[in-house]
Amino acid sequence: MSAPRRLAIGAARAAGNTAAPRNARRTFASQSSTSASSSRVVSRRSTQCLREAQNSIAGNSKPANALRGQSRPFTQSASRSKLKTIDQIRARNKGGPFNLTAAILFLAAGGGLYAYLTYEKERMARKRIADQTKGIGKPKVGGPFELMDQEGNKFTSNDMLGKYSLVYFGFTHCPDICPDELDKMALMYDKVVAECGTVLTPLMITCDPARDDPKVLKEYLKEFHPEFIGLTGDYNQIKDTCKAYRVYFSTPSSVKPGEDYLVDHSIYFYLMDPEGDFVEAIGRNFTADQAARIMIDHIKDWEKPLKKETRWE
Amino acid sequence: MGWFSSGPKDEGGPAKTSGGAFESPTRSTRKQCYAARDAFFDCLDKNNVLDSINTKSGREKAQTFCSQLDQEFEKNCAHSWVEYFKKQRVVNYQREQTIKKIEAQGGEITAPQLPLPGQK
Repeated sequence: MSAPRRLAIGAARAAGNTAAPRNARRTFASQSSTSASSSRVVSRRSTQCLREAQNSIAGNSKPANALRGQSRPFTQSASRSKLKTIDQIRARNKGGPFNLTAAILFLAAGGGLYAYLTYEKERMARKRIADQTKGIGKPKVGGPFELMDQEGNKFTSNDMLGKYSLVYFGFTHCPDICPDELDKMALMYDKVVAECGTVLTPLMITCDPARDDPKVLKEYLKEFHPEFIGLTGDYNQIKDTCKAYRVYFSTPSSVKPGEDYLVDHSIYFYLMDPEGDFVEAIGRNFTADQAARIMIDHIKDWEKPLKKETRWE
Repeated sequence: MGWFSSGPKDEGGPAKTSGGAFESPTRSTRKQCYAARDAFFDCLDKNNVLDSINTKSGREKAQTFCSQLDQEFEKNCAHSWVEYFKKQRVVNYQREQTIKKIEAQGGEITAPQLPLPGQK
């Protein structure tokens, strides 16, 4: 059975779509005259071979009806498509499942998926940090305060809403760390503004209200950045603000005018979101670039509308 | 009185309050102060003096070798800053020694700090 079957495959291939009627005619022709069949010979040798083979089958044994009955199952569309599929599988299997298109698609899909998942993972990590202090039962950093800016105007925690805020606690008589950190803060601020626009309020809250009145703060801060807002108040206001931000400070409660002393205080930058919630503390070990990158990433994660966004413009 | 004594100094340090603090610390006064501090500390280094504030012997040695620079230091910095920097010098040295000691023993120094971005 295998030999005629293979031949029939060839026939089906050669005949193409109209295999059934042509096959029937060919059987007829092979019986009546060989010259007629040769006149229909196409250039393909395989077709010719097939016809000779068919002739021999027909001539040897059976009449046309029997042959027709034999060949018909091979010309049925169902079996043809089945055979075609086997053929295709064979052709495909020659090279295996690997080819250039598949490789490119695989790499593109894999790379895209990896990039997306990495981005999502980082975003979720940031979100987790940002959400850590939201909700019930979480440590609360930040809170309401009412202080005075370096122009002598009232500045409350409500004035922080609608923009991210970068809060730093320091004092003007700080020997070395605060000035370095404020220089860094200026760099950080400029980087964030360059990438995200004016969505950040830079705040410096003094821990030394006895010496840092608005005038002193104004003189001090203008050397670092013109946009910096310096906040001061009376001793209790500052103490409460520091407490809200979990800032340790050692300011003496009563000082004589002109007295010389230093203040110990925590040295973190606090990033607060446009709703006034704490996002992340940025320590001294971060460079300006790294700190700016952290802030920019958080700012880009913000999906809600910024409230009162023109307040400081 | 404070402004009478500190005001007219021509090459002297920045304006100070009666208590010895800066009237208004600025970038230039800080720079002056740091320069005076570094000069004084260089002198201490040359004379092999580490502690110029906590011990009596240290104070005496600093007085013997570097009294001129010490006065400059006091003149250009707030008094609290002078004390702060002198103590910081000792603390910094001790920290370096501790780190060296641990590293010599094959230990690794991992200062407690927040993770940097990109570090997992």
